[in-house]
Amino acid sequence: MSRTGARWLLIAVAVALNVLPLLRKADQASCPSLAPESPAHAPLDAQSPFFTNELINPGSPRPMSHVASICELPDGRLAAAWYAGSREGATDVAICFAAQQPGASAWTRPRPLISPARASRDLHRAVRKVGNPVIFSDAAGNLSLLYVTITLGGWSGSSLNLTTSADAGLTWSPSRRLTLSPFFNLSELVRNRPLALSDGGTLVPIYHEFIGKFPELLWLGDRSHGLSAMKTRIAGGRSGFQPALAALGTNRALAFLRDCSARARISLARSEDSARTWSDPQALDLPNPDSGLSAVRLSDGRLLLAFNDSETGRDNLRLAISADDGRTWKRVATLEDEPRAEFSYPFLLQARDGKIHIVYTWKRQAIKHAAFNAAWLDAQARRPPG
Amino acid sequence: MTHSTVTLLFSSLAPWLVVLAGLQALANRFGPKMRGGIRITLLGLVAAGLLAAPVRGISIAAWVRGVAAGFSIPATGLLALAVWQTEFRKVVFSKADWRAAWVFGALAGLVLYPLALGLTRFDPYVWGWHFSPLFAAVAALSALLLWRQNRFGFLLLLAVAAYQLRLLESANYWDYLLDPVYWAVSLLALAVRLARVVALSQPAASTPAPPGPPPNA
Repeated sequence: MSRTGARWLLIAVAVALNVLPLLRKADQASCPSLAPESPAHAPLDAQSPFFTNELINPGSPRPMSHVASICELPDGRLAAAWYAGSREGATDVAICFAAQQPGASAWTRPRPLISPARASRDLHRAVRKVGNPVIFSDAAGNLSLLYVTITLGGWSGSSLNLTTSADAGLTWSPSRRLTLSPFFNLSELVRNRPLALSDGGTLVPIYHEFIGKFPELLWLGDRSHGLSAMKTRIAGGRSGFQPALAALGTNRALAFLRDCSARARISLARSEDSARTWSDPQALDLPNPDSGLSAVRLSDGRLLLAFNDSETGRDNLRLAISADDGRTWKRVATLEDEPRAEFSYPFLLQARDGKIHIVYTWKRQAIKHAAFNAAWLDAQARRPPG
Repeated sequence: MTHSTVTLLFSSLAPWLVVLAGLQALANRFGPKMRGGIRITLLGLVAAGLLAAPVRGISIAAWVRGVAAGFSIPATGLLALAVWQTEFRKVVFSKADWRAAWVFGALAGLVLYPLALGLTRFDPYVWGWHFSPLFAAVAALSALLLWRQNRFGFLLLLAVAAYQLRLLESANYWDYLLDPVYWAVSLLALAVRLARVVALSQPAASTPAPPGPPPNA
């Protein structure tokens, strides 16, 4: 072959290899929409008000517990994950797991699931710290656990990893690293509840906190077809982070944001196209002391928000309800209120039986779980203020 | 060989080349005056041994992977070329080829990193997940460079081939084209070249006149 011929061949190969993804994109033309958030929920229990609470890990040998999440197992039990150790960011912190015992609401003895040593082995790289686990289940009943690992530095040096379980959390697959940032894959964190997608995939609210602090979305594909993960952005700059998602329908979604500015207000971004594009975040008339919050759309269509009702501290934890898609809010219940104590990082879930569950950090010593029904929420809302 | 083993081996290639290049520089300065296949093989084995050495119970290679898992294909290729050219004293990349590599690394990094780190709402990193203007631009640039017989075009061709084979842990095309270390080195290389050009273009008047009789003497 002549030199010119070889040159044309190389050019043809280069162009063909770059155009090949166009054919794959044509295959993926039908982008998934949001699965309705509570399609299979039983009607909300309209009977007497119901409320219980307990610590998931009372008397934990680890003095610090933080950042809990819960999900529902196929048999209706709950599973929870959080991190615990001597202090936040310490190298002895491990991700812990517990599930409700079969036929009972009591929790199994918590067990460490992911330590830095196990993460190092799974990921074939040095891991000094682990943190922020979010546990969730897919339509097939498989559990997934997203968590962050750090090799050097603090939380801004985090990367995201995924492990899965097909037996309700008894055994877990080796973790896989997700590459989501071009800059040393740094500063991708997770904290809040994912939403299901119409194609079997999962939409996970994640965030970035390095130079900016902004909300992002992780699109996990249906794992029966192999793992696929890609990331999009809700907003940039220092617009707020730790997004909490709520789906209003198959196309409409809300993202509530933690505020890292002096404004100290929860902000809200809206999407009308299945979470692809978002409005600029707008401040709500609800305070935020730079702390995590959680939101869920109840099966009766109302939105429920759990948050620290303060501009400066995390010494209370309140619930607010919106009946108009997040435009106006009414405080309905106080879960905790104790000066100088910390009650933080709530995580809300409505189970298939209609019960509403919340887990949160209790005084940084333990993880607390509370369960209630809509009748309890309505009864709380009718109580006179104070 | 599983896909994760392939990506694991590939992620160790660039750090191994960095250590190898360092050993090669030391050997050139302090070692016997011998170059070639035997020396580079020995140095390569030493480099692999160094990367396997444990620090706090974890190999140095695993520490490097913890911080920087994925070096791009151009960065890996340029490292390999630098080692090869030094060892065998054969010019594979001309000055124009190197210049194209540095200009690409610098400009692509300037487009990607500030925006990917949140400068605005727009994130060009999304262009790497699926077919996008990034693929079209790289196809056009590769074709142009290959047509002009610039060998950096061949590295871009290898990058897209590696992307199709998923040789890196990442599924994003950007990570096959660019990495922060390559970007930083590209900016540095261009800055050095710019400084040289500026120094050469300084007027001769600025240098003191040689001693001698005045012109009209």
